[in-house]
Amino acid sequence: MRFLTCLAMVLLGAGSAPAKVRVVTTLPDLAALAAEVGGDLVDVTALAAPSMDPHFVDARPSFIVPLSRADLLVYNGVELEIGWLPPLLVNARNSAIQAGGAGHLDVSAAVRRMEIPAGRIDRSMGDIHPGGNPHFLLDPRAAARVASVIGQRLAALDAPHAETYLRSASRVAHMLDALARDGAERLARLPVEKRRIVTYHRSLTYLVDWLGLEVVAEVEPKPGIAPSPKHIASVLSTMRAQGVKAIFQEEWYPRSTSETLGKLAGAKVLAIRGGTRFEDGEKYSERIRKLISEVEDALGR
Amino acid sequence: MRRDSILRCRWAITGTLLLLLISPAAAQEPPSPDELKELEKSLGRDRATARPDVPAAGGAAQSMNPDIALILDAAGAWFQSDAPLQTGGHDPRETGFNFQQLEMFIAASVDPIFRLESNIVFALFGVEVEEAFGTTLALPWGLQARFGQLLTRFGRKNATHPHAWHFVDQPLMLGKVFGSEGSRGLGVEVSWIPPLPWYVEVLASSTGAAGECCARSFLGGDSLDVDGLEDFLYTLGLKQFFDFGVDWSLLFGLSAQLGPNGSGLGNRTEIYGLDLYLRYRPANSTRRTAVSLQIEALLRARQVPDDSLVDAGGYAELVWNIDPSWEIGGRYEYGSGVDGDPLDPEWDEDRHRGALQTTYYPSHFSRVRLQGSVDLPLWRDAPEWSVVAAVELIIGAHGAHSF
Repeated sequence: MRFLTCLAMVLLGAGSAPAKVRVVTTLPDLAALAAEVGGDLVDVTALAAPSMDPHFVDARPSFIVPLSRADLLVYNGVELEIGWLPPLLVNARNSAIQAGGAGHLDVSAAVRRMEIPAGRIDRSMGDIHPGGNPHFLLDPRAAARVASVIGQRLAALDAPHAETYLRSASRVAHMLDALARDGAERLARLPVEKRRIVTYHRSLTYLVDWLGLEVVAEVEPKPGIAPSPKHIASVLSTMRAQGVKAIFQEEWYPRSTSETLGKLAGAKVLAIRGGTRFEDGEKYSERIRKLISEVEDALGR
Repeated sequence: MRRDSILRCRWAITGTLLLLLISPAAAQEPPSPDELKELEKSLGRDRATARPDVPAAGGAAQSMNPDIALILDAAGAWFQSDAPLQTGGHDPRETGFNFQQLEMFIAASVDPIFRLESNIVFALFGVEVEEAFGTTLALPWGLQARFGQLLTRFGRKNATHPHAWHFVDQPLMLGKVFGSEGSRGLGVEVSWIPPLPWYVEVLASSTGAAGECCARSFLGGDSLDVDGLEDFLYTLGLKQFFDFGVDWSLLFGLSAQLGPNGSGLGNRTEIYGLDLYLRYRPANSTRRTAVSLQIEALLRARQVPDDSLVDAGGYAELVWNIDPSWEIGGRYEYGSGVDGDPLDPEWDEDRHRGALQTTYYPSHFSRVRLQGSVDLPLWRDAPEWSVVAAVELIIGAHGAHSF
């Protein structure tokens, strides 16, 4: 009898805590933002690990399990996840998170996108995202807009707690804007010649814009095109001529060429962490604070 | 000694060319020859991990138009045998140039309820609707249905198209058991993901059981004289996926296909399959390296007049994606034979086949492959060798593949 009572309680959900909003994000940065906005009211799962290049995540069937039960899917957009998210979305059999559903949130619509190609483009021009550069999560100003839009969507999905989400999102957005200003001011104290950098790939556009840096060359001759000896020799000459002392790249890009360039030009190589260590409890703002310090160290404050 | 001089000569030429090429920037203090050598070495080490930003699934701007892609597969081949025993409909089959296929993929959401996907394949002298099916997007309780012309999800490879294969030809047992086009037909499939903590999918489908191309172990002819439910072909599947940390993963499946065969009134065929896909992809690798092992085993039992025929076989393929540009792989296949097989009367002994391939990917949208194979059908006198060089080109927006 006691067993049957327990079973009935489990099945009926009696005595259980109020259901949390189940949020699934493609990237750990988005998971950290959603967790900070939603607090105890949400249960957040990130699909990709922080060290994974978000273009090339395996579409593991295990991702379908949280997606099938999600109330809200938050993804970067601008085709960053196009190589793996679409089949997962179809197989998730969850109408709430399909395109057009209340739980489908493409955060790229909320940010000011850069490098939107003008005119006709095709693949002979290298790897170009038609919707613009998708790597805006390295800029806390963009992340502030993302936090706001996540808060708005959570408020719509969980109306009884709408006020809490909106207040929390506003707090996070203000904090990130302040962090962005602080970072920009700290870097602005460096002389102009110290703020010149080389990047491996054109994925740091938003970071460069935020911190007032200047990219004098890229290790790749075109986005996604492998560097040639001729191009690398030209990058080295440019670095020497302009006194560039830092090469920036995300941790998933190959480093050997950059390190050799750094050695020959007397420059530091900064491998920027791919994403917030969300699973370890790190917050997005903590990641950005560390990033600012690393950038300062690399540029020689 | 000779190699040393060639290398020295190569370095000298490369260095000179580099110096000439960078001469417009000479005002910027060109690197020394030693520095150029060092840079070249580091470039070699980074070789190829250099297309990070390309969307793997091709990218078209969002619009109301469906995703449309064209995929060309063509090959030049040499077969030692005058009558090679290729079983796949799109395999290179003869010495010389082979047009394998031009596949047109079209897909889009119809509305919030349905998605439509089709693969139309053009050969030199014909067109076939390989797949054209609807998929539900919003059924409750973890259910999903597909309906139309579809490849059955028996095992792992049958439901995929040649452009998703690592080798240029179809595994011989799939051709022997299902037909040159794999197991497919008009029908309906229902699948269910139960509410468990790990990924489990249960599926069942019913399709037409006719066709030498697509259901040859069943009613091999083109007509399907349906009198009742027993005249359809039923496919059942169970798939499970396990994560072992971030780097390792395992997909495991069991399949069965049951239906009537044409050897006599009431005679039936049963096919059972086991598939396994083990993948290692270190998440921290800057070279995006991955190693995968895929194994499928099949057992077929057929009732024929006064007898029951049982045969078995399968394949194991090991593929190493060294980096985004290069891949190598090896495959071993086996298929047993039975006496008095009405479908393959010649295939009365074991057959073994081995293949090695290397693939170069200039980009995500093209690949060039070289594959060497040795075929050992024991009913023939000697091993038969073949070499195939194949190219594949993709244009348009092609949907991402499942795991």
